[in-house]
Amino acid sequence: MKRNVAIVGGGQTHHAARRQDVSQPEMVNEAVLAALKDANMTMDDIDAVLLGNMEFFEGQHMTDCWLADSTGAFGKPGLKITTGGTVGATIIAAGAHHVASGLFDRVLCIGFEKQEEGDTNAILSGVAHPLFGRSMAGAAMGFFAMLGSSYMANFGATEEHSAMVAVKARQNARKNEYAHLKLNIKIEDVMNSRMLAYPIRMLDMCPASNGACAMVLADEKTAKDRCKKPVWLRAMETAHNEQFVLEWRDTSSTAPKFSDVAATRVYKKLGVKDPASYYDVFEIYEPATWAEILWYEDLHLCKKGEGFKLIEKGITEIDGSIPVNPSGGVLSTNCIGASAMLRIWEAALQIRGDAGGHQVPRDVHRALATGYGGTCWTVVTSLSDSLED
Amino acid sequence: MSEQTVDQEYIHVPILVDVPYRFDAGKYMTRFLVELRDNEKIYGIKCPSCKRVMIPPRIVCARCHVKCDEWVELSNEGTLEAFTIMYFPMTDPTTGKPHDPPFSYGSVKLDGCDAPIDHMLNIEPDMSKIKVGMRFRVKFRPREERRGDLADIEYFDPIE
Repeated sequence: MKRNVAIVGGGQTHHAARRQDVSQPEMVNEAVLAALKDANMTMDDIDAVLLGNMEFFEGQHMTDCWLADSTGAFGKPGLKITTGGTVGATIIAAGAHHVASGLFDRVLCIGFEKQEEGDTNAILSGVAHPLFGRSMAGAAMGFFAMLGSSYMANFGATEEHSAMVAVKARQNARKNEYAHLKLNIKIEDVMNSRMLAYPIRMLDMCPASNGACAMVLADEKTAKDRCKKPVWLRAMETAHNEQFVLEWRDTSSTAPKFSDVAATRVYKKLGVKDPASYYDVFEIYEPATWAEILWYEDLHLCKKGEGFKLIEKGITEIDGSIPVNPSGGVLSTNCIGASAMLRIWEAALQIRGDAGGHQVPRDVHRALATGYGGTCWTVVTSLSDSLED
Repeated sequence: MSEQTVDQEYIHVPILVDVPYRFDAGKYMTRFLVELRDNEKIYGIKCPSCKRVMIPPRIVCARCHVKCDEWVELSNEGTLEAFTIMYFPMTDPTTGKPHDPPFSYGSVKLDGCDAPIDHMLNIEPDMSKIKVGMRFRVKFRPREERRGDLADIEYFDPIE
């Protein structure tokens, strides 16, 4: 990057299925105030404001205008960004570009979703090709069910393996004061939960959450002058899958895949040979259990077809050798427009040592965060406490 | 939530809006849908560079950035790559009405094509009876019911 960029503050709301006590502007403002407080700044310190969500979910278009007061954006430069499930990470990538370019020194980034105000499944159908299979679109569960059935057939994993991911997420969420689904569940609870779309059960899927996240990004001088624990954004990569050519339905396919492509580019940029040892913690975007197992492989934490062995051996538990989603992840909290930003914010909290009850029990110097959305694209973000790596 | 009290009143305003769209299929999808409707044929498009046969047909190969213009007739038979049994009463976005669960649904890669079609499977929704790798054949709707839509394929029939 032309100039180094740091996360110098952030904050989030308490996430929940119901937030009928606040309007969208009021909810977003909670995260904005938390981020400014954490950064020890006021809106006078902020040069630009970037905002995003999946606006059709709430039916309120031009959210940048509608929220200009509660985001603090009034009178300041800024952009609205909408890239589906990845949007929170895309906002951070765009904010980092704003700072790295030298045009802005301090940028406020905000992602939010108030899912209860609209019909998420109906709006998600608009992601499908309008003339090729849309009649069956409308819910993410069918998509992940297909990945699960293909994965089990190809690699010998079982439904118990996905249930282990479901348990890990909700048990970690119990340690995270902001998480939505804090469930004290066991594998049999997952297996006994209602079948939605074989092999996806109720507890294999993320919830529909309301919530917001906000972060302040700054240039190196601001970060060193004003922040005790800056977290540096060392690399960011985005990649798309080819639209509507569903080669990847077959999980044994070797066709280029968005997640693998983006991670490979990040590793190459930073000279990472073994990501499992290079990073101390991972925060990944897993809307369903099977997605997490596939992420293990796409991020090269294990060989293709062996992701389920990592969860089986407890390697990705909060106290395992490769902790994945100590926050509880998207499986426990999915306020979509904020979810990918929460991955980066949670990774930053781990590096700062400020994650509280879900802080992983080891020194954290580097973390990797991913977003996931649309019809398969990602933003992969690499964070560090040092500018030396 | 900290300021919420038991007797605090909040007003919630419902907005019920019905937004219809009309998509233009364009040159390539129109040709695909006309062949499906009039001739019971399924066509893919072949990239002149990487030679992949893609479906639905598109004008540009995303990988090679070249124009695709070789139409390839696909077999009516193919192999199941992934499936689900849907138990959740999802709404069909094209009709606004719910599907009737449980039903079987899968990704079938027709012979001669490099990408699958997602569609209904005409097989009992029993997970022990559906296997990845099974062979299926396209079942077209009767001519008088076909209207130039992917739904002109009624479902995939298992090949015994």
